[in-house]
Amino acid sequence: MSRISRRRLLRNAAGAALGWVAASVARRAGAVERFVRESPWIRAKPYWGYAIDLTKCIGCARCVDACKTENDVMRRPFYFRTWIERYVIRRNGGVEVESPNGGLDAFGRPAEPKTILKTFFVPKMCNHCENSPCIQVCPVGASYKTVDGTVQVDRRYCIGCRYCIQACPYGSRYFNPVTRTADKCTLCYHRITKGLRPACVEVCPTGTRIFGDLSDPGSPVSRFIRENAVQVLRPEMGTRPKLVYKGLDREVR
Amino acid sequence: MTHARHLLRVAALFVLVIAAFLAARHFLVPPSFGKLGHYRAAAVDDLKRLPVRYAGQAGEASCARCHAAQAKLKAGDGHRGILCETCHGALAAHAAAPKTGKAGKPPEDAMRGFCGRCHGRSEARPKGFPQQDLGEHNPGLACTQCHDPHRPKQ
Repeated sequence: MSRISRRRLLRNAAGAALGWVAASVARRAGAVERFVRESPWIRAKPYWGYAIDLTKCIGCARCVDACKTENDVMRRPFYFRTWIERYVIRRNGGVEVESPNGGLDAFGRPAEPKTILKTFFVPKMCNHCENSPCIQVCPVGASYKTVDGTVQVDRRYCIGCRYCIQACPYGSRYFNPVTRTADKCTLCYHRITKGLRPACVEVCPTGTRIFGDLSDPGSPVSRFIRENAVQVLRPEMGTRPKLVYKGLDREVR
Repeated sequence: MTHARHLLRVAALFVLVIAAFLAARHFLVPPSFGKLGHYRAAAVDDLKRLPVRYAGQAGEASCARCHAAQAKLKAGDGHRGILCETCHGALAAHAAAPKTGKAGKPPEDAMRGFCGRCHGRSEARPKGFPQQDLGEHNPGLACTQCHDPHRPKQ
């Protein structure tokens, strides 16, 4: 009868335990990696997305007006949840960006029309980033991402420190002087959870704005993303916006 | 024995501090915090309760119930597919209470500017979109003198 020494028994037991722990950690890490890499709308249904077709925008700013009405956004400049910018790109490479009262006031005719290479409108709003800087910097958990993918502000919990306004690379947030909190596009959460579309999408006369469920391949936004070449703003920031643009010029930031 | 008393005193202090922390946490952290993530789950319900002002696509049918003539004209011409609310403003309240709820109408005197929001000449608009130079196209006249906004192509 062979006898195992105590030392050998302990060593083998420790080795087996280590191997078991390593295997379970590796399995867990694999799951985490898959979790991070796969699109979240594979896991959560619905998962809201948004698209803007810049080849259709006429800059009428009905969306800006509707957003202010629907969401009680102050009728003063500097407070916008969505706004329209007009880019004028000159032949000499100059770029002019204008947004008179967010686009609510008429855009004047650009000066020296002969020197214009191209000009176009760009509606902007919260990008509802998958990996949003504004949520990361919030010290109290007042900025958050809902289970269906929208980025929101908890007005009753926000302490008004303005970190998120600084952190947003898209300038989508503003400080609401009435509530003394950060404020932003809610993607009309009160509408989309009732089966309605956001107010800006409803009133858009040209079909520039497209909204839908990314987890449903038949939704307008899924179809649009599938059938068109789309880009996001500032991809180098790694924010993974769920707002995509078609026909985005390289000068747009 | 004296050492044990010291240890007991420290342990009691620990228990006291932890209890104080838990009590403070119980009163300071909102009840629904952390239920769905690092935020107040009740905030989502607060958002859902906000009032709906635009009836949207779903409300078009209720517009047509009273304003059938206009709805029919619109459905057969260039402005089909555009909601009533795009020009007339938010109408959910009007649809819910037609007698009391206020209906919006673009003002007659500001008509040129209002139609011009979409149809004024602008280089930034897509080429095929119908546009007029408001300075040259019958200046001073209201658009509605010649055009019916409900069937613009006639």
